Amino acid sequence: MSFIHVEKLHKSFTVLEKRRKGSLFRERKTVEALRDLSFEIGRGELVGYIGPNGAGKSTTVKILSGIMTPESGEVTVGGRIPWADRREHVRRIGVVFGQRMQLWWDVPILDSYLLLKDIYRIPDEKYHARLTELTEVLKLEELLRTPLRLMSLGQRMRAELCGSLLHRPELLFLDEPTIGLDAVSKLSLREFLKWENETYGTTILLTTHDMEDIAALCSRVMVLGHGRKLFDGNLETLLERYDTVRTVKACYENPSVMPALPASVTASREGEGILFSYSPGETPTAEVLRLLQAAGDLRELTIEPQNIDHLIAAMYREMDL
Amino acid sequence: MKAYLSVFHIRRKMELQYRGAMLGGILCQMFFGLILISLYRALYASKPQELPISHVVSYVWLQQAFFRMLLASDPDLGDKIRTGSISYDLCRPMDLYGFYYIRIMAQKLTGSLMRGIPMLCFALFLPRGWGLTLPSSPPGLAISVLALILGLLCVCALENITMAFTMRTLDAKGVQAMLNLLMLILAGNILPLTLFPDSWQKVITLLPYAQLLDAPIRFYTGEYGMDRALRILLVQIVWVFLLTLLGRLMWSRNQKRLILQGG
Repeated sequence: MSFIHVEKLHKSFTVLEKRRKGSLFRERKTVEALRDLSFEIGRGELVGYIGPNGAGKSTTVKILSGIMTPESGEVTVGGRIPWADRREHVRRIGVVFGQRMQLWWDVPILDSYLLLKDIYRIPDEKYHARLTELTEVLKLEELLRTPLRLMSLGQRMRAELCGSLLHRPELLFLDEPTIGLDAVSKLSLREFLKWENETYGTTILLTTHDMEDIAALCSRVMVLGHGRKLFDGNLETLLERYDTVRTVKACYENPSVMPALPASVTASREGEGILFSYSPGETPTAEVLRLLQAAGDLRELTIEPQNIDHLIAAMYREMDL
Repeated sequence: MKAYLSVFHIRRKMELQYRGAMLGGILCQMFFGLILISLYRALYASKPQELPISHVVSYVWLQQAFFRMLLASDPDLGDKIRTGSISYDLCRPMDLYGFYYIRIMAQKLTGSLMRGIPMLCFALFLPRGWGLTLPSSPPGLAISVLALILGLLCVCALENITMAFTMRTLDAKGVQAMLNLLMLILAGNILPLTLFPDSWQKVITLLPYAQLLDAPIRFYTGEYGMDRALRILLVQIVWVFLLTLLGRLMWSRNQKRLILQGG
């Protein structure tokens, strides 16, 4: 059986609705956060877990980390049921919630690490070896004596990550770890995650809205929407399927030129140039470019880069999320 | 066990970060003490009471010195619950009740000792009738320390119950305000319990709030003699037991129905 095994998972929440006029009580409504979710993750995989806000990503992570119990369904992580065997289970996992803090705000981070050492009962040598290694890779050496409250967001995230990995978890959950980080911090964080995954075979489940994170790190992506799994596979396959519209902007020396193109290509004037959108499946990019060049003297030509965010937005739209 | 010591240590360290606040607290509590004492002196001047004024003065000083033990809740714990950072604590291989209990205890103990000791030293050197008197007897002092420890266990259990309420209401302020008011009155911070009518005292001294500071102070001043020590300590132990049990029950129920918001 694979490392993480999830089968037919259901979880719903009860929410109170707005009180209707004339009725005394508010009505209760059940919202299904997860419906019939099943997947398998093998040891050492680095999986991206995406979906629009409210899709049920965090709920899945909470169930997998043993904080929440589902209504029905089967979950095992390394052969253990997370919520039933909570203490043993949490000893082996690490969690980073990007918008929350685990380290103590007012004391040097080294003190927080010492506390974690005692909580996870890490032996002295192992702790020191691991701390040296992590502080080196995460560039934290000079910050160990600094309280968390004096750190920048990027430093804080690195410190949090170090805290979550001190006890060498087999499985790491990351909930939006790059949120609000600058470009340099993002890149170094990704590099680090890759290193941890390759060096120790740590299984990582990464929840994010940043598609660049996924593109840089994950060989496999799972898409969740309305509590259901909509896609499971590699990122290229996902993108190919939704890479349906591209745009080219052309400016001619003579602004009145209007090239003749197949009907499937739509054109609209935008400032001095003309914006063409086409689908590469019907009209290949080379064909479009040839026709544009034939129409007159081109001054400027820009092919809009493929934006993963747009593709994902298109996918969410198509899947009606 | 080591983990609990470690939690205690780090929370103590955190408390020590704010030395300025501590100094301010000491000055404020001293001011309060002096005001209250002048009030009771005025009362005694116009209508002497049965209880010697020196007892009342000592009562006031000890109450002020250990003010932090009664009325200082950890704002971080409430915030953790409100913001959801508590989910990190749920991911630890630790007992949540014990984890919070020890945090609360570290804060209360460090806070009150750091403020209390300098204050009591100051109060010992004040002129007669204004200052703290020495304990009635060495065994009285010993019993009073023991009673204070039991009182600390009681107040930590009470605070943890407040936290359990917070997990339901998501805001610590309401329940805390109510319980703090009860605490101020029934623990003897506003008016020493010894000055309440005798018939009232029979009931009030049995309530958990009287176990926190009132019982230890009365052993200190000698109002409770050795003959009553066993009975009073027993009442304290029963309350420690009951409050811990109730808190534990509430926490385990909370943990079962826990739904972490957002994210």
